[in-house]
Amino acid sequence: MNREEAPGKSPEEMYIQQKVRVLLMLKKMGSNLTPNEEAFLRNYAGVVHSQMSQLPQHNIDQGAEDVVMAFSRSETEDRRQ
Amino acid sequence: MAMQMGEREGVVKVTEWQKTYYAGDSGIQSGATTVRSDDDGTEYSSKKYTFTTTVTENPADLESQYTMTRAQRVRAAMFPETMEGGTTILSTQLDSSQQTNVQKLAEPSQMLKTAIIHLINYQDDAELATRAVPELTKLLNDDDQVVVNKAAQIVNQLTKKEASRRALMQSPQMVAAVVRAMQNTGDMETARATASILHNLSHQREGLLSIFKSGGIPALVRMLSSPMESVLFYAITTLHNLLLHQEGAKMAVRLADGLQRMVPLLKKSNHKFLAITTDCLQLLSYGNQESKLIILANGGPEGLVQIMRNYNYEKLLWTTSRVLKVLSVCPSNKPAIVEAGGMQALGKHVTGSSQRLSQNCLWTLRNLSDAATKQDGLDGLLQVLIGLLSTDDVNMLACVTGILSNLTCNNARNKTYVTQNNGVEALIHALLRAGEKEDVAEPATCALRHLTSRHPEAELAQNAVRTHYGIPAIVKLLNKPYYWPVVKAVVGLIRNLALCPANQAPLRDADAIPKLVNLLINAHQDAQKHGSASQQTYQDGVRMEEIVEGCTGALHIMARDPMSRGVIADMNTIPLFVQLLYSPVDNIKRVAAGVLCELALDKQSAVVIDNEGACAPLMELLHSSNEGIATYAAAVLFRISEDKNADYKKRVSVELTHSLFKHDPAAWDMAHSNAMMDPGYAPEDLDPRFAMPAYGYDPMQQDLDMADDYPQGFDSMQRPYDAC
Repeated sequence: MNREEAPGKSPEEMYIQQKVRVLLMLKKMGSNLTPNEEAFLRNYAGVVHSQMSQLPQHNIDQGAEDVVMAFSRSETEDRRQ
Repeated sequence: MAMQMGEREGVVKVTEWQKTYYAGDSGIQSGATTVRSDDDGTEYSSKKYTFTTTVTENPADLESQYTMTRAQRVRAAMFPETMEGGTTILSTQLDSSQQTNVQKLAEPSQMLKTAIIHLINYQDDAELATRAVPELTKLLNDDDQVVVNKAAQIVNQLTKKEASRRALMQSPQMVAAVVRAMQNTGDMETARATASILHNLSHQREGLLSIFKSGGIPALVRMLSSPMESVLFYAITTLHNLLLHQEGAKMAVRLADGLQRMVPLLKKSNHKFLAITTDCLQLLSYGNQESKLIILANGGPEGLVQIMRNYNYEKLLWTTSRVLKVLSVCPSNKPAIVEAGGMQALGKHVTGSSQRLSQNCLWTLRNLSDAATKQDGLDGLLQVLIGLLSTDDVNMLACVTGILSNLTCNNARNKTYVTQNNGVEALIHALLRAGEKEDVAEPATCALRHLTSRHPEAELAQNAVRTHYGIPAIVKLLNKPYYWPVVKAVVGLIRNLALCPANQAPLRDADAIPKLVNLLINAHQDAQKHGSASQQTYQDGVRMEEIVEGCTGALHIMARDPMSRGVIADMNTIPLFVQLLYSPVDNIKRVAAGVLCELALDKQSAVVIDNEGACAPLMELLHSSNEGIATYAAAVLFRISEDKNADYKKRVSVELTHSLFKHDPAAWDMAHSNAMMDPGYAPEDLDPRFAMPAYGYDPMQQDLDMADDYPQGFDSMQRPYDAC
C-alpha cells in the first residue's frame, strides 16, 4: 500500500485512540482512573468526544446475573385434615 | 272416660297408700320413676331413674308381700311401658340412699332390651331386603322404563337403612343392574334415584367395592355431564368416596376420562360441590404427571385461580390450594397458573385466619415464583410478603424469603418496589432473627443481593443495608461451618455493597477482606485439586469455581477503595490473581483482570503485577471477545507500561488494534494497514516513548510484527458479546 496515498492514523494516534477508548470503557464500568489518566483524557478531549459515540451502550460489568432458586423440585403432601 | 276414671281411682289409691305405710312417692302417678324418652322421641331409652319410697314397717310381715310382687317390680323396671296406669307396686327399698338390686339393674336391662329390639328390626330389614333383591334386580332390568323407575325408587329407599343396604350391596347382580339402569335411562328421576343408590352404597367399603366391580366408575363419570344438579352431586360425591377409599379407583377414573369431565365442573357455583370436585382433582393429580397435563389441557389453572379469586368458603379455598400446590411443581402448569393471575389470587389468602390455607398458598407461591419473575402487577403481593417477613415462624419465613428472592430476580420493577417499601430493613431483621437457618439465610441473602444491583434504587438499597446494621450480620455468614449456597450469595452481596463507597469502611471493620481472601484461597485450591474444568467440584451443589469468581469479584469492587486496595495487596494476593488470568472460565478471567486493574493504580502493585509475569496472559486477554475482559487487560497493560519503553507500548498498541477495532471493520482496516506498513517505524516526530528497542516476548507475539500475516488467534467473526 502506498503510504503517501493511504489515509489513516499514525501509530501514535492509534495508541492515543486506543488508550482513550480503554479509559472511557473503564470509567463506564465504574473503575477509577489515576490522575495521569484523567489528565490524559483531558489532553485528548477531541478524541474523547469522537470515541464517546462508539462506546457500547449496554452495561458492561454489573457483576454476576441474578439467578432464580428452584423450589418446585418435588411434591410434598400435607396431612389430610 | 273409663280410662280417666281408672286413672283417678289410681291417684286416689296411691294417695291413700302413701298416707298409710309409705311416706314417700313411689312415682307411679307422679312419674318420678318414669323412664324419660330421648329428645328425639325414641321409644326406648336408658335414662337413669330412682325410686323414692322407703320401707319403714316390720320386714317380717312384708316378706310374703315382697315375694308376690317381685315379678311386678322386675316387669316395671324392664318394661315400664307395659304397666297399666294406676298400678301400685310394693317397693323393697329400705334405705333411700341404697338402691335395690332391681333398681340397679333397671338401666342395664333397658339397654339390653333396646339392643335386642334393634337386632330384631335389623334382622327383619335384612331378611326382607334379601328376599326382595332378586325380584328388584329383575325389575331394574325390565324394558319398561316406568317399571325401572319404580324399582329404582324402592331400592333407593332400601339403601337408606343399614340392614337392607348391606343386603343390597352383597348382591353383585343388584349393583350391576343399578349401574346399567343409571347409564341407560333417559328419565331424570330414574337417573337421580340410581345415582342416589350408588351414593348411599358408597358409604361402606363393601359398597365401594361392589360399585367398583360392577363398572360403576365409568357410569358415574358419564353422569358428570348430567344437566341435573342432584345427579351431579351424587356422582361427584360417590366418585370422591371411591377415590378416597377404593383401591384402583384412581386409575379407573383416569381411564374413564374423569379428569376431562371434572375440570369443566370448576365453573359451577355451589361451593360445597366445588370443594368435592377440587379434592377429586387433587387425589387424581398428586404424583401423576399425565393427569396434571390433562388438567392443564382442559383449562384447569384458569378455573382453579378463578375459585381462589372469587370464593371465601375456607374448605373450598383449602382444597383448591392443594390442587394448585400439586400443579405448581409441573413445569408446564406453572406458567399457565402464573398467566392466569395465580400469584395475585394466592396472595390474597396468605394472611387469613386459616393456617392450613396460608401455608398451602405460601408453598404454592414459592413453587411458582421462579416462573413469575416477569409477571406484572405483583405490588400487592410484594407488600404482603414484606409484612410477613416479621413472622417468628421459621418455616413461613423460609417460604416468604424464597418467594421474594425469586420475584426480585432480574426484575427491576419489583426490586425498586421492595426497596422503596422497607424490604431491605425487613430482610435484615429476618437475617438477624433466623440467619443461622440455611433455609432462611440463603434466600434472604439472595434477595438482598438482587436488591443491591441492576435497578434505579440499587444505591438506596446498598445504603439501607448499612444504616440498618446489616453489614456485620452479613459478613458473619462467611464464618465456618460453610454452607456454600449461603457463602455464594453472601460474597455476591458483599460485592454489591462495596459499590457504595460509604460501605467500604464498615466492610473492612467486619473483616470482610481477610474472610474473602481465605475463602478464595481455599476454593481455588479445591478447584485445582480436581483438575480440569470437566471435573468441577461441587459442594452443597455449588462449584468451587463459583466461589473463586464470587470472592475475586467482591475483592475487585472493594479494591476501588484506596485503603481496601492496600489491605488486599498486603495479603499477597497478586500472584493468585495473576494465576486466575489463566482460568478457562471467562467470568474468573474477567474479575481477576478487574481486580488487577484496580490494584495497578498503585505503582508498587503495578510492579508486582509485572514481576509476576502478568503481561503474557494479559496480552492474550486483549483478544477476548468479552469486552470487559479485553478492557481490563488493556488497562492493566497500560498501567504497568507507564514506565516502559516505546516498543513495548507499540506491541500493546498492535495487540489492542486487533481487539478493540474488531467491531468497526472499516476503522480496523485503516488501522491495520497502517500498522502493517510500518513494522519497525520510528518517525522523527514520534513521541520518544516509541523510540526504544523492542521488548522481548514469546514467539507468538513476534508473529504479530510480520508484514503480511494476520495475527494468530484473531477472530474475524464478531462473536456475540458475553454480557457480564
